[in-house]
Amino acid sequence: MATSTAARVPAPADSPGRGAAPVRRSTPLRRRRSIAAWGFAAPFVLLFLVFTAWPVISSLLMSVTDIKSRDLQNPFNVNFVGLDNFATVLADPLFWQAARNTGYFVVVGVPVVMFVSLMVALALNTGITRLSGFFRVGYFMPVVTSIVAVAVVWRFLLKDDNGIINVVLGWFGIDGPNWLGDPNWSMPAMILMAVWRSMGTLIVIFLAGLQGVPASLHEAAALDGANAVQRLRLITVPIMRPTLLFGAVLTGIGYLQLFEEPLVMTNGGGPLNSTLSVSLYIYRQFGFGNYGIASAMSYLLFLAIVLLTLLQFRLLTERDPRPRRKARQTTEREGSAR
Amino acid sequence: MRKPLRVTVATLAAATTLIALTSCGRSDDAPAEDMSAAPVAEGEATGTITVWAMGTEGEKLGEFADAFSAENPDATVEVTAIPWDAAHDKIATAIAADQTPDVSMVGTTWMGEFASTGALDPTPDTIDGTSFFPGAWGTTIVNDVAYGMPWYVETRVLYTNTAAAEAAGVSPSPATWDDLKTSTAAIQAAGADYGITLQAGQQGAWQTFMPFAWQAGAQILDDEGNITLDTPEVVDALTYYQSFFTDGVAPVDVPVGTLESSLIAGEFGAMVSGPWHIGILEEAGYADFTLSPLPAGEQLASFIGGSNLAVFKNAENRDGAWKFIEWLSQPDTQAAWYEATSDLPSVPEAWETGTLATDPQLAIFGTQLETAVAPPSIPNWEQIATVIDTELEKVTRSGLDPQEAATAIQQQAEAIGTGL
Repeated sequence: MATSTAARVPAPADSPGRGAAPVRRSTPLRRRRSIAAWGFAAPFVLLFLVFTAWPVISSLLMSVTDIKSRDLQNPFNVNFVGLDNFATVLADPLFWQAARNTGYFVVVGVPVVMFVSLMVALALNTGITRLSGFFRVGYFMPVVTSIVAVAVVWRFLLKDDNGIINVVLGWFGIDGPNWLGDPNWSMPAMILMAVWRSMGTLIVIFLAGLQGVPASLHEAAALDGANAVQRLRLITVPIMRPTLLFGAVLTGIGYLQLFEEPLVMTNGGGPLNSTLSVSLYIYRQFGFGNYGIASAMSYLLFLAIVLLTLLQFRLLTERDPRPRRKARQTTEREGSAR
Repeated sequence: MRKPLRVTVATLAAATTLIALTSCGRSDDAPAEDMSAAPVAEGEATGTITVWAMGTEGEKLGEFADAFSAENPDATVEVTAIPWDAAHDKIATAIAADQTPDVSMVGTTWMGEFASTGALDPTPDTIDGTSFFPGAWGTTIVNDVAYGMPWYVETRVLYTNTAAAEAAGVSPSPATWDDLKTSTAAIQAAGADYGITLQAGQQGAWQTFMPFAWQAGAQILDDEGNITLDTPEVVDALTYYQSFFTDGVAPVDVPVGTLESSLIAGEFGAMVSGPWHIGILEEAGYADFTLSPLPAGEQLASFIGGSNLAVFKNAENRDGAWKFIEWLSQPDTQAAWYEATSDLPSVPEAWETGTLATDPQLAIFGTQLETAVAPPSIPNWEQIATVIDTELEKVTRSGLDPQEAATAIQQQAEAIGTGL
């Protein structure tokens, strides 16, 4: 601690207006300070380099080679193939099917889970019931439960003839579909389960965001005669915008990497590959030992995630309805936010 | 919420292999250059023999090997049990990092992949290939060279609900394709929901389908090593297989975990499965089923699976390793191993004594093994098998024309290549 206090004292030396000499005089201290800083940061930096940076780089390297599992013994057999792997992947109809499946999951799943979670968060936030603490816990339960256990139970819930979901639908005279056996219904079933599963996190985030909405604004608006829907649209949502953006980005990234649900629920992508996701296909290719192809797919997925995130920022960042001069400032703020 | 770093995790796996690959390449001995097996020293085995084994085998082999140590007092066998689902990656990583044990159990469908890395030691002539079931021995052969020893086998037979067959007035042991067709239809007509269950698609369905293709006389590879999956024989088999679904005799969906109870309840009349189902059915208190070899098309055939034992080229105790394997391949040892684990022996001679000779149900497996066929040991087999699974599912579920399916399988399989 002594070092850090000592280090803080000469800090003004950095400030403009001083000559070159004092800066030079403080150099040993600065160096000591930076050694200490690197010392503290080293464990993280090292782990980051070994387990995050290097894998990302090596995967990029692998994506431009024809490396397969058999080359592990003979690394000199690995050839540079340029963008061939990417061409192969883009020409693979199964990859496009996986991309379509994943896109379906994201485009339908993200808005649904956002909407449902916001509604539940609003209900919990009003605190109408004394039980809202119980519900907060209840909604969070799926998040902390093991996905494999959950998937096995859901397989029973979704059974064709005597699954609870179809039994309940039957009470209302609806003949439920064969959820996991019908290629048209397998993806909706995945979305149903994913919504149930990821709601908890979003509700907690939204509840925190709702705490930041000043009650005085609502009171003022109510005095002016605004009804609940108007207050939600004009006060709550605009103030919550950063929170909603955060939730959407996080969910979008997560949903693009759909993996465990189809792996467990439909034995890895059935029926008729209707639940084969991009991540699952990457996993399959790694399993076949096609490391080059799998790495190329990983990078395409990475690209998709970047694009989706940029799109969400564009759509959800605050846009000022007032004239242009203000609007330009907003754009600058957007830029720096990124 | 999913972790947003999954891409990184996937790449991490890739990178570890790349690290391994750059830091420790083994001497450049491709399998094609060094095909002749070195001889094994005479006499008793000595030293420590390290063995990796999976599943029940991993649990039981250590104790079982005490008998080997009794015969070879200077040798000890150290068994490491590894879980099946981690085994493939563990062996692959070990090969890459040059950290292999002396001996490892290897799933029959992995032989091509691992042998083509050049890490496996060719089988020396102390182990006689002719003493095994031909299908089992075939799983050890990659590019005309044998690697390792077929340890135990499994094969698929027909399980029929005897009561359901009797109620329908048909034999529970159909002998031909036509018999199977008529008897399963009769069982269904007599009140069962379905006559038979056949895997409609998804992982591993090829193991149920390929026996029919082999019965029709199909081959996966021709004599020159070309993939031949669009031959008239394959189309015949696809057509026959599809007819069970188009006629509604076989269900498209069997909910997970209901197979056994449905067979017991007579909801369907028959199924195709391996030896493990005897135990499952008996545990459920059900004994009224009949086993029979799969029906004959042009010929008899079934799928043969199981596990092999392989020795690594860089084994520290190569002589000891081969002596241990040689001991495990002896008919007496194989019969004793069956008593310990219920693994079916890969050596026909082991079937001539004890329970294996007297139990009529087991005898069916013994008969079936004589004509059982293994898929070729080519590195890309698993990938080609996935193509068959997918196209087969289209045939059974969405009525894809068998000829079109065969063409699609052939095209994709050719694009994948054998990997040799």
